[in-house]
Amino acid sequence: MKTILKNGRILDPSQNMDIIGSVVIEDDCIVEVGAIVDGTGAEEIYDCTGMWITPGLVDPHAHLREPGEDHKESIITGTKAAAAGGFTTICCMPNTSPRLDRPQLIDFILDRAASAEAGGIFVAPVGALTRDGYPNQISDLAALKKAGIVAASDEGDPIQDSRLMTQAMEFCRQLDIPIMAHCEDRSLTMGGVMNDGPTSSLLGLKGMPRSAEEIMVMRNCLLALHTGCSVHILRVSTWGAIEMIRQAKYLGAPVTCEVCPQYLIFTDEDVAEFDPRFKTTPPFRTQIDIDILNQALADGTVDCLASDHSPHAAYEVLVPFEEAPFGMPGLETMLGATLTHLTHKGIISPLDTVRKLSTAPAQILRLDAGSLKPGETPVAQVTVIDPDCEWTFDARHAATKAKLSPFDGMKFKGKAMLTFCGGEVYYDGHFGADRYETFD
Amino acid sequence: MSRALNAIRHLALPEIEHLLDRAQFHREAIRSGTATKSKQSKLIGLLFFEGSTRTRVGFEVAAHSLGHSCINFSQHGSAMGKGETFRDTILTLKNERLDGLVIRHSACGSADLAQEFFGGPVVNAGDGKHEHPTQALGDALTISERKRTVTGLTVAIVGDVAHSRVARSNTWLLSQLGNEVRFVGPRTLMPSHPALLPGTVYNDLESGLKGADVVMCLRLQKERMEEGLLTSLNEFRKMYQVNGETLQFAKKDAIVMHPGPMNRGIEIDDPTADGSRSVIEQQVENCIFARMAALEWVFEEGGK
Repeated sequence: MKTILKNGRILDPSQNMDIIGSVVIEDDCIVEVGAIVDGTGAEEIYDCTGMWITPGLVDPHAHLREPGEDHKESIITGTKAAAAGGFTTICCMPNTSPRLDRPQLIDFILDRAASAEAGGIFVAPVGALTRDGYPNQISDLAALKKAGIVAASDEGDPIQDSRLMTQAMEFCRQLDIPIMAHCEDRSLTMGGVMNDGPTSSLLGLKGMPRSAEEIMVMRNCLLALHTGCSVHILRVSTWGAIEMIRQAKYLGAPVTCEVCPQYLIFTDEDVAEFDPRFKTTPPFRTQIDIDILNQALADGTVDCLASDHSPHAAYEVLVPFEEAPFGMPGLETMLGATLTHLTHKGIISPLDTVRKLSTAPAQILRLDAGSLKPGETPVAQVTVIDPDCEWTFDARHAATKAKLSPFDGMKFKGKAMLTFCGGEVYYDGHFGADRYETFD
Repeated sequence: MSRALNAIRHLALPEIEHLLDRAQFHREAIRSGTATKSKQSKLIGLLFFEGSTRTRVGFEVAAHSLGHSCINFSQHGSAMGKGETFRDTILTLKNERLDGLVIRHSACGSADLAQEFFGGPVVNAGDGKHEHPTQALGDALTISERKRTVTGLTVAIVGDVAHSRVARSNTWLLSQLGNEVRFVGPRTLMPSHPALLPGTVYNDLESGLKGADVVMCLRLQKERMEEGLLTSLNEFRKMYQVNGETLQFAKKDAIVMHPGPMNRGIEIDDPTADGSRSVIEQQVENCIFARMAALEWVFEEGGK
């Protein structure tokens, strides 16, 4: 089987490539990329004129909720949502029930993700840094690595004790496992439900101060510097944290970081009047933070984007604000939000956009993804994006189980049209029959 | 959307003035024995997720005076204690054909949410640390009764402003009416970022009370000490207690208020609480008239 994606704008940061050309997929693999390709014997042709052809998008940070919380999301629905968002590889976080602290659970995740009902994309599990129910014991990381984890994380239960974190970093450095760090000083955020600022004082809600995030970003950067362990800082939200990371990188600490589009669009003012769809941790901050995060994306201090897809059931969210859980779905809105609020506004170039959405997270977590170069990834992972498609997000019709989203009703410009994984199309966002030819 | 009285913050000045006029009307009618009941008797659900005596009784008396009936619900002995969600509880009450709801809940914004699910008239009887609108209306009525005006005054709210719904509602109401509002207390008990609240912070009691016409004490919750927001009760008493000595900082004819329940000997001393400048007992009575005006307002009776 030979498939050609022709006449698109090929954006491949792994080769620094931005040309009009075609991509040839044969037997699950990319065999040729270029302005002119050999089209003989093609069985399928997709005319990508006016569209982008990019390496499949990579999300370093999503919550699929299985095992244990499949009323919120499942590996089946989560991977379908990911395919609909243009992703071909996503990392799933370990704060499930139980936490992903043993190899059998990693096997379970990989089996489910590979099943025929799933979304057809790759799931890269992140292991729990500490054992389920034993917050002071580090998980058996060597066994987890053998089972297939790509990183270890304290997501959802941030390690407070600096000695424990140092030891975790020593183990991870030895095993060559990156740590994805949830940076939150819980003594400062206890009882807090939104950013500590004028809006929290107005509403009477307990604030989560920016210092709670910045203290732990600084600590984890310092520990990365001194242990040599690779540390990826999850969803940075404050300008102060950006300054810490900038300084750490300058000092040579092996540190990377991500931001999520929602933190570049919403501020703490959006929480009024008590809308629990806007409840996140770290919380939405202020316009100044958004401005600095945008700059940091442009200058490379922020390495990549992430969805922090955190689905919940509607009945869990539709409660008084203080009782609502933290987090919102993000897989199906991430590309639209990124293109609309970053790329089309000229904050980052199209090539840089694809770098932050695919090549960079793949490199940080050493995933077999993020490139269109023949032979670079074992199977083809390609996303076709219409950067000019204008659409409105309707949360009720999303593939995720989580039907409440702060993005609901929002207009976007830019959408995934085709998600290819291993030569198969796992999502078709109305690519158009007139653009498709088949020769049997 | 039906009418609700959930936050003074959302009321415009004419609406506040109307509510105060109606409360005053009820006060006169009841005191002169000429009160008449509402033409249409309503069935009101008093939904108290959090304990309360004065507020609940105040609403019951107010409803009764208007000729309405009340049904009480509390967390104990109802499905709310059995893990029923907030939404399901409210939807059930809606389908029990209640005409209106009065709600008290420990979470900020819960009255708004109740209104969304109930779809009928709602009065907020205190939502977490957010607002307590009928208390503020009753307090304004008390001030106007004693000071003959409720505009152009200086009002010092003393104590735990950060955690007080009474302080927030009073701040919006009194500033709308053209009074100066001051927040007086230690930094740890002040709103962390007061920029959007129409009040000025004073950390020193003397300067905060200087020239004040009204001194409004707030209840100090014992748990603030456990949270480390106070050094000690003794030090708080020494620095911020409203008593015969510290009241001298305020104007000679300043009145003293407290929304209750009081911690006698902590935020206020005995002689001051029971003294001639105290209007604490009048506050309780005036809150009934405020609650009558509030019920009338959400049922769209009494004009406007």
